[in-house]
Amino acid sequence: MFLNETQEEVRNTTRNFVNAVIRPAAEALDREERFPSEIYEEMGKLGLFGIAVPEDLGGPGFDTLTYAVVMEELSRGYASIADQCGLVELISTLLVRHGTPEQQKMLPDVMSMKRKVAYCITEPEAGTDVSGIRTTAVKDGDGWVLNGGKIWIHNAPVADTGFVLARTDKEAGNRGMSIFIVDLHAKGVERGPKEHKMGQRASQVGALGFSEVRLGPNALLGEMNRGFHMMMSVLDKGRVGIAALAVGIGQAGLEAAVDYAGTRKQFGKQISEFQGVQWLLADMAKDIEAARLLVYSAAMKIDRGLDATRSCSMAKCFAGDMAVARTADAVQVFGGSGYIRGFEVERLYRDAKITQIYEGTNQIQRMIIARELLRKGATS
Amino acid sequence: MKILVPVKRVVDYNVRVRVRPDGSGVDLNHVKMSMNPFDEIALEEAVRLREKGIATEIVAVSIGVPQAKDTLRTALAMGADRAILVKSGDDVSQDLEPLSVARILAKVVATEKPELVIAGKQAIDNDMNATGQMLAALLGWGQGTFASAVRIDEGSALVTREIDGGLQTIRLKLPAVVTTDLRLNEPRYVALPAIMKAKKKPLEELALADLGVDTRPHLTVVSATEPRQRQAGVKIQSVDELLSKLKNEAGVI
Repeated sequence: MFLNETQEEVRNTTRNFVNAVIRPAAEALDREERFPSEIYEEMGKLGLFGIAVPEDLGGPGFDTLTYAVVMEELSRGYASIADQCGLVELISTLLVRHGTPEQQKMLPDVMSMKRKVAYCITEPEAGTDVSGIRTTAVKDGDGWVLNGGKIWIHNAPVADTGFVLARTDKEAGNRGMSIFIVDLHAKGVERGPKEHKMGQRASQVGALGFSEVRLGPNALLGEMNRGFHMMMSVLDKGRVGIAALAVGIGQAGLEAAVDYAGTRKQFGKQISEFQGVQWLLADMAKDIEAARLLVYSAAMKIDRGLDATRSCSMAKCFAGDMAVARTADAVQVFGGSGYIRGFEVERLYRDAKITQIYEGTNQIQRMIIARELLRKGATS
Repeated sequence: MKILVPVKRVVDYNVRVRVRPDGSGVDLNHVKMSMNPFDEIALEEAVRLREKGIATEIVAVSIGVPQAKDTLRTALAMGADRAILVKSGDDVSQDLEPLSVARILAKVVATEKPELVIAGKQAIDNDMNATGQMLAALLGWGQGTFASAVRIDEGSALVTREIDGGLQTIRLKLPAVVTTDLRLNEPRYVALPAIMKAKKKPLEELALADLGVDTRPHLTVVSATEPRQRQAGVKIQSVDELLSKLKNEAGVI
């Protein structure tokens, strides 16, 4: 009811593709921890990467609400695949906003996944607190020399191009970082082993090392020393994306639980006839709907140019907590089966956990909400 | 070559339909609606003919409530060049019968002058399987129904039909009507940029009253009932038991 005709159409299209291609593949992708190139290639053709890239730069030019709708639907099929969509969305948003025309020429390849990208922020000493990064880019002739290391980088084992946050002024704190576009096949780039994760296991995550990596004059994205602010400027959208992803995980769990409760029999009747099970289903449904509405509200605020920071943090925090709690309920409805590998809800429960951690932990989200409250007042 | 593709807005195939309590039909309130799947196949075939350079224009036409515009937008996103909505009323539960639909389509054909009409063999709501045939009769055109392959060849269409016991290939002189079976093709997914582009494609609206078509019904729905609940199966212990049941209970051997 909040979606217009076009957004509905986008949802239907994405859902058809997800039902036919993504959801049936999720179990094997999770088991094999495999990067699904063939699915990404098809998604690229369907325009499911770079959803907000404007039409004149080769994208569909959709708003944030449409992006959120796509993220929820993709995640309902498999969260790892939605997270790839989220990653490409952030990189392409940065390129659209801050890239030179020359740099923007890579957009079509980024959106078709011919060029796989990585967003390289986190370091051993700089997780949630980005100001601690130690990777440096030092001016050298008309370019730079990059040194340092990143960890837990999504796509690191497979990526072609990194968008690397590096310190360019040691004294200037948050005003001394810049983002560089780095060829990850270049000399001096080292890839660590793939991490074996609890959930979202088709997402390839690992470390990247940079030793004396030479960067050309076109490597700098946007303004020098403004990297931190550029990163922050896409954070709201990133949080809406992860919140929508969490809603998709919850929705998949609800659908599985409702189906199962209607078929599984105990004591001579379907378990859906027991009030204890009914209450689990009702609580799942109401929290998923509440989270979805928070996502829509945050996305609409971004689209209308309103201050969306508090809403985005609320959506991300609530949806992440909801996904963990309500996929646990889905496992509960399945009983012993829900604890067995191969059952969708078992995977969903594992996939949900990271949504409380990445894109800013839910503790940080609460700090942001409180800070906004105390700074701008409690009225919404 | 211009191709006309009629598309119908029907209950989505994933929806578990319910019969209205008074037995007058299926409850269509608050039910997800989509394009009839056989019409998607028809549209896909038209788009493929255009990609081969055979078709030059694809016109999608729908007859029904104003919401059928959504179905036409989907058709435009799937590749139709323009769309026509013939508005027949506001009541979603008021369904026009095949003869009326065929007459309306014949009027549209008279103005649009397509060389080929590709239609779904039937709509998944009423499963009448009659509109394409009636349209061909009204126009005096050849018809190739239940198509599993279509080839255009110098002023004619070679249509492979799925018939009892095998396949039959017939040659139709154009213009002609072709109705699609399930195996003709697998419709593509709509690409997101195509949805945006579809918003800019022309969608013309016509009022049924202006067409001067007789749509008085000849059919009456007597009653609609839910299918009988499926009974649970039984487990048997041996092949002998199976044979005995097939012989004595099912009476099939």
